[in-house]
Order: sequence, then structure tokens, then C-alpha cells
Amino acid sequence: MALPDTGMSRHLVNWARAKSPWVTVYNSGGCNACDIEIIACLMPRFDVERFGILVKGSPRHADILIVTGIPTLKQASRLRRVWEQMPEPKYVIALGACGASGGVFRGLYQVVDCVESVLPVDVYVAGCPPRPDEIINAVVTCLGLLVEDAAHGGKEWRQKKLLPGMAPGEKSPTEVS
Amino acid sequence: MIRPVTLDTITEKMKEFGSVEQVRKNRIRVKTVPDKLHDAITTSQAVLGCDRLITISTVDNGETFELLYHLIGPHRIIITLALNLPRDEPVTMTSSALLPPAGIYERQIHDLFGITFTGHPGLKKILLNEDWPDNEYPLRKDWKPSPGEFYGGIKVERV
Repeated sequence: MALPDTGMSRHLVNWARAKSPWVTVYNSGGCNACDIEIIACLMPRFDVERFGILVKGSPRHADILIVTGIPTLKQASRLRRVWEQMPEPKYVIALGACGASGGVFRGLYQVVDCVESVLPVDVYVAGCPPRPDEIINAVVTCLGLLVEDAAHGGKEWRQKKLLPGMAPGEKSPTEVS
Repeated sequence: MIRPVTLDTITEKMKEFGSVEQVRKNRIRVKTVPDKLHDAITTSQAVLGCDRLITISTVDNGETFELLYHLIGPHRIIITLALNLPRDEPVTMTSSALLPPAGIYERQIHDLFGITFTGHPGLKKILLNEDWPDNEYPLRKDWKPSPGEFYGGIKVERV
């Protein structure tokens, strides 16, 4: 049953979304250290599930995509496809030194430069691997963006970065194909 | 019972294929040539009991490509068959008929170093991206990444 698109229902959906963000984790070619720190967030010591942050297996159920590791050439198009499956509003966290900047793998033959050459990234988290509290802080920062975007009626006010080499309004090569 | 092999036995059996030297405690290297490789593999399998292939490693030492076939048996002695290939024409015979796992290693070496193994049943890409440009072999010493190429629709700057 679809809710009628009135101001009140939109307000309700955005309120619920900010109270319980669903997260999906995608390892695009990392060493699994960041993934282990994400698992540490779910374990009883931090236990983010009590705040409503749920890790879901499917990107179609998720509001936030956490990308760990530098995308390899083979993973780049798959990562893009995972991102395209997520419903709006969607947010991307590039986790760890490799996800945020490429890290020690930047410039090698089998990788693209960083997550940002594949997706528009909202939050970067440094560290190798980042601590669980930094990961939780990144998700909470995304929620702040979500609330602000809902107040402004979309993401356009933040002037989201385009893919490198693209003019405004131009379609990315994957969208064209 | 596992029959131990000694350096003397290996030297006696393998000296017709090239020089034999002990590089480490349980590693013995035989410097052979591409034409004698199949006979050397057959001898180490049948006579010396080295029937398992650990890996094929490749070294680009600037002048030649060095192929190293590491064979091991139940006696835990590793026999390494080393051979050199010229850089301008890196072609050798496949050993996938003698050692079935060698076919996969040879596909990897063909991807990364551009060494052609004649007689291989399917020398296709195994590691690199589907749209990787031909005649570019990333583990060669003289390879430089070419910036600004598209891979799967994504531009790679490589800076």
C-alpha cells in the first residue's frame, strides 16, 4: 500500500528514515580489515542495532552504501550497478584509506583511482582501518545530511559533485549503455 | 614408506638437462633449456617422485624472462626447473598435458607477462579486465600505465 504523497506522509517517511537507517556494505577489493571493524560495530560492545542502524544484504533495501577498499577494474562496473539499484535518497560512505583516496594501491594496474571515480561520495572516513566509533560517526553524519536534504527538498542544493570529466546534465557512460 | 632423495641422486638423474645446484636446504634448482623441459618434468615425476606442481613463477630480469617450475613430492624436496626465454620472442611449449594445473598458471603468466605457450588448449584472459588493451602486460618491467583510459565505462587517471 503506497502512502499518498502529501506533506505529512513525506514528513513521516523522512522521520522514520532518519531514525532507522538501513546500511549495505560492499567490499570492492579491500583487505577485509574495514569489514571486520564494521562487524565490530554490530557486536555487543558497540551494538549499533539498538539505535536502529541495520546492516542489510540487499542494496534495494538500503539507504546508505558503505564502500570498503579501492575498486578494482572488474569491480568498478559492478559497484556502479549496486549503487544504481539503491532507492533515493541514497548516501555513500567511502570507508578507510583505500576507499577514500586509493591508499597504497593508487596507480596500480588493476585498480581505478578511488571510489569517487565510480560514485558520488558523501562522507569520507580516514584510517586503516577506521575505528568503530568513526564508522558510527560517519553514519550519523549521513543522517544529518539526510535531514538537511529533506528540509531542502532534494540533494541539489549541496551541488553534488559530478563524475570526473562530466559536464552538468551529461549522462555517465554506464547510464548511456 | 617415503623414499628420501639426496642431492647426489638428483644430480645424477638431472645432469643431462642442465646444471644442478642446491639453493636452500630443501630446494634444488635445475637450470635447463625450453627444449628439454618436458623430459625434465617427466623425469622428476617418474624417477624422483616430484609429482606435484606448486606454482610456476616468472621473473622479468631486464634481459630475459625466467620461468621457474616448482615441483614437490612426498619427501618435501622441491625441484625447481628454471629456463630463460628471450624478451623479444617469449614463446615456449605448454606443459598442461603433463601437469594439468599448469594450464591455469600459464594463462596467468600470459596475462601478466605476455609469454605465449604454444599448444595450450585455451589461452584466454583469466585475471585482467575484459577490456584490457592488447599487447600491454602489466608485470613487465618496462610497462607504464597509460593515463586517461576507460575501463568498463569508468575513466582511470592513474595519478
